[in-house]
Amino acid sequence: MGSMGRVVLLVVTAVVGLVAVLSFHTSTPQLALATAGQPASQRKQQPKAAATSASPSGSSNSIVLVTRSAVGASEQYGYGALSVRVTVRGNRIENVTVNGLQTAEQYSQQLAAQVIPTLHSEVLAAQSARINGISGASYTCQAYALSVQSALDKLHV
Amino acid sequence: MTAGVSQSRTIGHAEKVMGTVVSFVVHPGALSAAAVRSALARACRTLHEADETFSTWKPQSPVSRLRRGEATVDELPTDVATVLGLCERAKAASAGWFDPWAMPGGVDPTGLVKGWAAERALAELVQSGVPAAMVNAGGDLAVHDRPAPTEPWRVGIRHPWRVDALACVIEADAAVATSGAYERGEHLIDPHSGRPLSKAASATVTGPSLAIADALATALVIAGEGEIGFVTALDGYDAYVIGPDGSELASDGIRFAPSA
Repeated sequence: MGSMGRVVLLVVTAVVGLVAVLSFHTSTPQLALATAGQPASQRKQQPKAAATSASPSGSSNSIVLVTRSAVGASEQYGYGALSVRVTVRGNRIENVTVNGLQTAEQYSQQLAAQVIPTLHSEVLAAQSARINGISGASYTCQAYALSVQSALDKLHV
Repeated sequence: MTAGVSQSRTIGHAEKVMGTVVSFVVHPGALSAAAVRSALARACRTLHEADETFSTWKPQSPVSRLRRGEATVDELPTDVATVLGLCERAKAASAGWFDPWAMPGGVDPTGLVKGWAAERALAELVQSGVPAAMVNAGGDLAVHDRPAPTEPWRVGIRHPWRVDALACVIEADAAVATSGAYERGEHLIDPHSGRPLSKAASATVTGPSLAIADALATALVIAGEGEIGFVTALDGYDAYVIGPDGSELASDGIRFAPSA
């Protein structure tokens, strides 16, 4: 077991949650927004600003952005189905609300009630965090992301 | 709408298959959107084919027939032999902590198939000329190249019990698989005893093959951090384990992304 030498003990305290984000692949296009029109080779200088920007709508350009919303498809997630309404301003997600939620049993309802409010902030955070995906995401997260995506598709974002 | 014309625009897709959601992020490069769409369609077809072949829920799937002893491996599609060969490799590499032959109800390669299928879907995209892409099969990810020349793929690792946070963010250049004791319906069975067991709260394995990483992550969440050595003994593979007390252990090949 000489390989154990490679192992580094990191932290023996509670796991620290560093960033609140969701596995949500439109995060990349959203990030690209901050650098829209720039060649890809210059993008690396921009994301720092995007990552530290707390405001989801922080933009100083002079283009007039329209606020629109759409309801995503109702997605099965193993223990029920959920659909979301996504509001965008320009191409940035402004808000995500649960439009419909059906679960077969009370436990699932409780679970969903616990998970969904935080997924909301995760989608918004994903726009500023430099995350391309998440490993270990639950069915619930995946269904939420899928419904968000279908709403974004309807909005052509 | 200015962003739609951005050169760095990616094309996304999500496909419901194999009892989960497989999502794609594709950097089209010089490919047209239509070319990417047809590459995605081919990639999704391979996922559905894998589901048809390996589903243990579909009574007539080749693997279901194998499990019932109605067919031998030789009589089934060659993918079955390929996957079982990978299962042998993962079983040996994990000192038996991953063992599809010890599952109740007969041989069950499910713990490796999702990763294998995602890897194949990614290969299909690459063959079609896609310069960079990520495939996320229900939390097991395979990536090709990079989103930008100096920018790695960044993968958040789900926190095992905090829904509003990630445990960490790591940089990925091939495969990342995570198994956790958190998801209902996830049957983590100790192959040595046949009983449910998960000594770790979450185990992440990175490496060149998502099929192997997927199997080893399942093995490691069952076996616990004390067994991390079976992962690090393999060339190119690394592991990150969160214990039931929240302690973290990572082998030195895990590259944590600087936090924003």
